Amino acid sequence: MDDIEKRLTDCFRSVFPELDITEVSRASASSVGSWDSIAMLNLISVVEEEFNVRVPIEEMEQLMSFELILDFLRRTNAH
Amino acid sequence: MKLAEALQLAREPREDGIPFRVNLVCGFAPLHLETFLVAHLSQCNPRYRPVVTGGLYGDCAGNLERVSEAECDGVALVMEWQDLDPRLGIRRASGWGLGDQSDMINTARLNVGRLVSAIHKFQHVTVVICLPTLPLPPIDVVPGWQEGPLEIAIRGELSRFAETLAALPRCKIVSGQRLDAQSPPADRFDVRMELAAGFPYRTKHASVVAQCMAQLLAPPQAKRGLITDLDDTLWSGLVGEIGVESISWTLDQGSQIHALYQQMLASLAESGVLVAVASKNDSTLVRSALARSDLIVGAHHIFPVEVSWKPKSEAVSRILKAWNIAADSVVFVDDSPLELAEVKAAFPEIDCLPFPREDPEAAFALFGRLRDLFGKEVVTDEDLIRSETLRRAQDLATDRTSARQTEDEFLRSINSTVTIQIEKDAADPRPLALVNKTNQFNLNGTRYNEASWSAYLNNPKSTSFVVSYEDKYGPLGKIAVVAGRKQGSTFLVDMWVMSCRAFSRHIEHACVATIFDHLGVEEIEFMYKETPRNEPMRDFLTALLGSPSAAGRMLSRSAFSRLSAFIPPVKVAAHG
Repeated sequence: MDDIEKRLTDCFRSVFPELDITEVSRASASSVGSWDSIAMLNLISVVEEEFNVRVPIEEMEQLMSFELILDFLRRTNAH
Repeated sequence: MKLAEALQLAREPREDGIPFRVNLVCGFAPLHLETFLVAHLSQCNPRYRPVVTGGLYGDCAGNLERVSEAECDGVALVMEWQDLDPRLGIRRASGWGLGDQSDMINTARLNVGRLVSAIHKFQHVTVVICLPTLPLPPIDVVPGWQEGPLEIAIRGELSRFAETLAALPRCKIVSGQRLDAQSPPADRFDVRMELAAGFPYRTKHASVVAQCMAQLLAPPQAKRGLITDLDDTLWSGLVGEIGVESISWTLDQGSQIHALYQQMLASLAESGVLVAVASKNDSTLVRSALARSDLIVGAHHIFPVEVSWKPKSEAVSRILKAWNIAADSVVFVDDSPLELAEVKAAFPEIDCLPFPREDPEAAFALFGRLRDLFGKEVVTDEDLIRSETLRRAQDLATDRTSARQTEDEFLRSINSTVTIQIEKDAADPRPLALVNKTNQFNLNGTRYNEASWSAYLNNPKSTSFVVSYEDKYGPLGKIAVVAGRKQGSTFLVDMWVMSCRAFSRHIEHACVATIFDHLGVEEIEFMYKETPRNEPMRDFLTALLGSPSAAGRMLSRSAFSRLSAFIPPVKVAAHG
């Protein structure tokens, strides 16, 4: 697990504290019961704060899993 | 505070905390603002378990009108321009034309009036208001670097609104200047999130707004005393080296920052803050320096003046004893890091602040910090006489020691009068302040906020005595509060506090006598609970009852009448 994955895992755990650390990398809107629209906005804002990035409005609804958010962060060279 | 931290704080409320219900009123989706408000309230007062509820989207005035005062302890109103007229927001595109302008002003005026009417209904809870913090959209025809007539008119409506609210006793307005300092205006508006989710604030701005509101809803206890160094702090220069005439505090001599510091101390002293001096110096020189007529802080503002070559912590200890207040209510200011460290080591609870004599920017920031630490809502009559009262208390102590009289004979000789006002008026801020900052003579340590205090007084069964005192050494002002409920022939004392300035005058005996005489009860039951600091109360109850424990906290009229202690004359004032 690299630094970005670790920090993204912390972001997920702050929004979905019920997730076990081993479950985070497989988390998605369909697998996490509490992943509703509010949780999604919380997650986007926490990720933006942590990585100092801005998620474009058209991408917001696409980032529905840990994997997709990780991919977005790598694409945007977040650090 | 970052959102991740706020989410964690909001998720972990203190289970045994006092519920503190806040109604968050706004016209946008509260989202992170709600989370941050819970988190900051938890930090502002760790004893609270905040519960924040919101209203309907897009209906700020309606949400305010629907708040039930009985179901909340505070109201947080966060306004944005669209609450004055939806056309001033960006989620509606219904016209920025010239023809719309006068209608926008009229609509803004109507909505402001509606908010004022809704706010007027709150009699017992604090209403905290954050005026619009986001940029107005480009509605005027003038370029953005020019104030347009519409913008001036809208801001005028808002300014009159703020002026009206500021005059209401339970309304507090978030400082625009503080918001600007902590959240730069250009970094506040999240247009993207406003369009996507109806939440217009960037997370950092949401945190700053919530923090300011939490500080107003659950304000920290104001500090009560400031102990200052002299050389290179109150004035520029070492008086022992350059002499009384050469120390300075003027613009011409490059020492204006010391003049401003003196001015700050004078202002604090006039608002009831105790100011004392702790200096390693020659006492004769200091006496002469403090007698200089151009000193901005007057000698009458300062008590006591502790000058010696011994460690400053010893001087601080004597000052705390003279003031009779706890170290955690005190701030110590000195230019020497060594002295600050020495005092901090002896009194970890004291806020020790460096005086940055060579850094004007830092000195200016220090003045702001002092105002934050000592700031208060109102200056009471007691604030105005506090320092003088302590001076007189010292005279009284000296006379008491030198008098060849018994305690009772001495008290009979000082022409004392206790005045007891039977009061149910929650608007008087002094009783609540006494209740919440008195630790030593305190029956059980129960604290109240404005809403719970008001609710207690409004209970038809409750009675409260607000006690004032005066003797030949001068008035002490309102120094005690007794509150309780009559049940048959018994009076249950729920709360009893008395300022430490009023000890040793038998005012507490006068309070007990008044309960028996004025309320006509046969017994008094004290709802005593031991706290880490209420030893004086325990000692009094032990002397009165034999024991303050649960088994022996009942005092009968006959038992009290057998006590032979002197009771000062009491005047009972009409019901307030």
